Amino acid sequence: MRAFAYERPADLAGAFALLAEHGPDARLLAGGTDLIIRLRDGSIRPRLVVDVKRIGELDDGIRDTSDGLIIGARTTMTAIAADERIRRDYTALADAAAVVGAVQIRNRATLAGNVCNASPAADTAPALLVYDARVVAAGPAGERRIPIDAFFVRSGVTTLAPGEVVTAIELPVPTGRRGAVHVRRTRRRGHDLAAVTLACSIDAAGVTRLAYGSVGPRPVLAWGDTSLLADRSASDHAKAELLERLFTDARPSPTSMRASPDYRLAMLRVLGLRAVRAAIDRLQAQGVRP
Amino acid sequence: MTAIRIELTVNGRPRSVPVEAHHTLLEALRDDLGLTGTKECCLVGECGACTVIVDGVSVDSCLMLAAEADGAAITTVEGLAGTDGVDRVQRAFLATGAAQCGFCIPGQLMSARALLAITAHPTKAEVEEGLAGNLCRCAGYEQIIEAVLLAADEPDAGDGTSEPAEPAP
Amino acid sequence: MTTDDHVGGSPARVGGIDRVTGRQAYVADLRLDDALFVKLVSLDVARARIVAIDSSAALAVPGVRFVTTAADLPDPMPRFGPQFRDRPVLAAGETHFHGEAVAAVAADTLDAAEEGARLVRVEYEELAAVFTVAGALDLAAPLVQDPALRPGDPLANSNVLREHRYGWGDVDAAAAEPGLVVVEGTYSFPMVTQFAIEPHAYIAAPDGDGIAIWSSIQHPNWLQKVIASLLHLPLAKVRVFAPDPGGGFGGKQHAKFEPLVAFMALRAGRPVRLVLTLEETFQAVRRGASEVRVRTGFRPDGRLAWRDVEANYLIGAYADIADRTVGKGSYTAGGPYRTPAVRILARSILSHTTPSTAFRGFGNPQQIWAVESNMDEAAGILGIDPLQLRLLNVADRGDAFIPGDTPADGRWSETIEKAAEMIGWNTPTPAGRGRGIAIGLKSGPTTGLSYSTVRLLSDGSVIVHAGTSDMGQGARTIFAQIAADELGAPFEWITVVSGDTAVVPYDQQTSASRSSVFMGTAVLRACHDIQAKVRSMAARLESVDEAEVVVERGAVRIGERTLAIRDVVKRGLGRLGGEVIGVGEMRKDAEPDHPLGGTAAFYEFNATAVEVEVDRETGDISIPRYVTVSDVGKALNPLQVRGQDEGAAVMGLGHTLMEQMIWDDGGRIRNLGAIDYRIPTSMDLPTEMASDIVENADGPGPYGSKGMSEGALLPVAPAVAAAVTDATGAVIRDLPLSPERVWRALRESGDVAGAPGEAGS
Repeated sequence: MRAFAYERPADLAGAFALLAEHGPDARLLAGGTDLIIRLRDGSIRPRLVVDVKRIGELDDGIRDTSDGLIIGARTTMTAIAADERIRRDYTALADAAAVVGAVQIRNRATLAGNVCNASPAADTAPALLVYDARVVAAGPAGERRIPIDAFFVRSGVTTLAPGEVVTAIELPVPTGRRGAVHVRRTRRRGHDLAAVTLACSIDAAGVTRLAYGSVGPRPVLAWGDTSLLADRSASDHAKAELLERLFTDARPSPTSMRASPDYRLAMLRVLGLRAVRAAIDRLQAQGVRP
Repeated sequence: MTAIRIELTVNGRPRSVPVEAHHTLLEALRDDLGLTGTKECCLVGECGACTVIVDGVSVDSCLMLAAEADGAAITTVEGLAGTDGVDRVQRAFLATGAAQCGFCIPGQLMSARALLAITAHPTKAEVEEGLAGNLCRCAGYEQIIEAVLLAADEPDAGDGTSEPAEPAP
Repeated sequence: MTTDDHVGGSPARVGGIDRVTGRQAYVADLRLDDALFVKLVSLDVARARIVAIDSSAALAVPGVRFVTTAADLPDPMPRFGPQFRDRPVLAAGETHFHGEAVAAVAADTLDAAEEGARLVRVEYEELAAVFTVAGALDLAAPLVQDPALRPGDPLANSNVLREHRYGWGDVDAAAAEPGLVVVEGTYSFPMVTQFAIEPHAYIAAPDGDGIAIWSSIQHPNWLQKVIASLLHLPLAKVRVFAPDPGGGFGGKQHAKFEPLVAFMALRAGRPVRLVLTLEETFQAVRRGASEVRVRTGFRPDGRLAWRDVEANYLIGAYADIADRTVGKGSYTAGGPYRTPAVRILARSILSHTTPSTAFRGFGNPQQIWAVESNMDEAAGILGIDPLQLRLLNVADRGDAFIPGDTPADGRWSETIEKAAEMIGWNTPTPAGRGRGIAIGLKSGPTTGLSYSTVRLLSDGSVIVHAGTSDMGQGARTIFAQIAADELGAPFEWITVVSGDTAVVPYDQQTSASRSSVFMGTAVLRACHDIQAKVRSMAARLESVDEAEVVVERGAVRIGERTLAIRDVVKRGLGRLGGEVIGVGEMRKDAEPDHPLGGTAAFYEFNATAVEVEVDRETGDISIPRYVTVSDVGKALNPLQVRGQDEGAAVMGLGHTLMEQMIWDDGGRIRNLGAIDYRIPTSMDLPTEMASDIVENADGPGPYGSKGMSEGALLPVAPAVAAAVTDATGAVIRDLPLSPERVWRALRESGDVAGAPGEAGS
């Protein structure tokens, strides 16, 4: 690995000062499970690595507030996957966090880091889109909340401003009961980067939210009237046709070695229908019929 | 290059060691502390050969800077048991023939230990999931899984408690 | 005294404690004072003409000591290789594959070596190159190998390194028989890599007036010859230390970077060490890819009439041992069957890719994938149960199924029937599942030479010197078991020494599942040598005629009396103590007229049966049940046998389901490293795995044992593919059976959902 300097600010002010001083030569380090790979392969070459894990204002917990759940920037995938509130109210996120890498990776990788990497294949991204998560960003000028859909730009690029630090991810309070699920396609059952990743949430009113990733430069929240999906009287055929329209923004890379575009698109359809069914099942398991 | 002094506890022993800022915990353990039981293979967090336990949880030491370990308590394979003993997991690995070439075994042991600390009596599926981050190319997975299940059935003498090894001549 | 039988039991693995405590020292764990670190420099292209190399920036890095390029090595460039001396120590003038080293930086620290390596500036010109069978065989294709390296070779102006022709009977005449059913197909097997979890590691150090090399190598004695030849040193001045490899699988058989580090150590006058990254190992070793066309004629009742095989193996840029894998792998393409007429043509085809080399199965898995898949397709066409088709044709013990070679040395039908019984072949297949069965045969070593010295010390403890590399198969445990039984010593009193050519007698190689048979026999004979000496000793001590003394299986018997060997030796050696030294040798000489240079010492035979479920929408294969049965003659250590068989099965599932090296148009490996080259994890196993063995004590090794360890890998792919066909009707002739490939095959056979309106069945 190329040499770099390492700083471990104790507070946000310290982090802001370092980022202001070093600009693009500085990179933030949270769990490190992506960053260190890229430091080693030379695809990024910062002069300074700023470890955010000792910043006093950042925590590794999950807090209940009237605005919803607040997941601290240092919270690991392991903690998220195990958290009872997330397993109950944000099931798709729990599902997704539980399949990020293997145990050792989940013990280090943070949700905030995963979001900041903005990988199109990020497992947690579709769930965060489905749940309308907000990224809490702090900078020298203060704090702001960025809707997750406005956060992702393309692989490795977000709307986080230079000098800002993500301090938390917020999950809005659910408006009612819902069934939600995260599904993915990989080349093996053990940990793998997903060729398609998809989250679906259906509430008691039949409102269906669906998001997908790994089939384009950024994860996508599907728009449109989705109520048909939760309609038990609708045929699979009709649902498949609707899904087809929801997936029009899918643009799988033609050069990827992980899967070819036609397979990814076909799997998007398969996973879409499966996710809808699984979400309905989970809703019904709570005694709710959409 | 930037040397940083870190203070950490390794296998119960307080250590103070200067490390390079860009060196990983794996490099610090192997090169600076001479603990070569932790192995290096893929360096991208896929194979688990470098797994150690940091503050109670298993991590890939190739994906953690040494500097990040400042203040941490680390257990490596050398610290699983006393100098002339083996713990129940190690003993089970021997009993089931789980250790073939042996290169992945330190990592497997650390993951097994971490799993049993959370889930005392795991199912087979939980063992498969818990050890999925540790590749074995001799592919002794069946015997490794058996070993973890066997170890779970044995009373735990606790970390660092040595138990008798093979009889000496 | 009688001793417990250790052979046939499963005592604690020798070296086991070190493996679970982290004390086992692999090459990269060794620390030599004052060692320099080496980092290789390579280009991001496959084939290039090297115009100039500028090391000045690298040399300016603090800690960098020197940079070695071709210009720093003897002229002409020293070359080496087990079959052809075609591999240069460093690329000479031209690179031939992605990752070939063009320079190496030696520095005080690894950081400095890496920084230096990044700063070595290589001016080069990319050249046209070939990466596929078709590309390499094109008459206009650039030549991979300089024809000057192949004087007198009529194929020198092509990319075909060798053509191998085998066979018997008259295939054309046999094919003229009316009424035969001909089944034909071409089956492909991709490039896969060994992926030992221990990346290859090398250390070299000046050693008096010679050199010492540490390498994670399977064949230390072979390496000793290579280094002695390149450095013009007597063998005795080359000391090879071969610590237990952390997995070999064939990839560590032959020299790779040992010659380079040797030259660099001599230049430095101090030790140098090179530990490859996993990515670099992908660029150092792989299995040959293949396209195998099989045509088989069957009588309507299922009996084989003839078989015609054309096998093209895509080997890499240098021959290594790859051509031998092609020859040996294709030689048995008739299968373990009685086939009246067989014609085999196999080509080893050079390409500008990673040099392929030995890999568990040694050329056979590629061929068996083709031949056994062809058998399964035939069963479908003939309307005969795939199990019955095999049983109908499989050779009986003693059959000269390959004329001129060792007759069938096992009751192979027993192995097949056992596997069939274990999977419940004759019971109904559960709904939604498919079953498949396949068998695999591999010709064992054709030559061999192993020596052992065994030393019975004055207290009855034993030191066994045996040069087998213990890379996970547990060779030392087997040798200790033999010595314990034969010399009546407690198992814990045996020390087995290996991995040092200055101390341990010659062993030809650790390969071809030979060590229990060859080295095991050498150890056994060394023990017998000791027993003969103990017999004289006992006769002298007891004042009886030697004819009255019997020494066997650990005990001395004189008439009705039984004495412990240990007690006899203690008394016999007297006050000065000392030891009794036994020497053993096992030799199998070459037979120059044999197409492979020698008959098979034994055959490895395995039958594999599986049950699969296929997700028709995604192409995902899951394996609820998996059965593997090997004919091992005699299991010297059942626990280790199980480990080897199940391990081979899982490794086979890797190339069956997910493994392949992926290349870009420029011959670069795209999935370099562990993120995108997938191997099975503990979550990718069959739900139920059962392994068993057949033991008829009909092998040539100690106590009737045969070699094993590769057999269970041989028929994995065709067994799984047959089950997929059984479950879905889709016939797939290309590996791996990745979800996408299976999905595509199902779609082509009209059996898959995917488009709107089809989904959700």
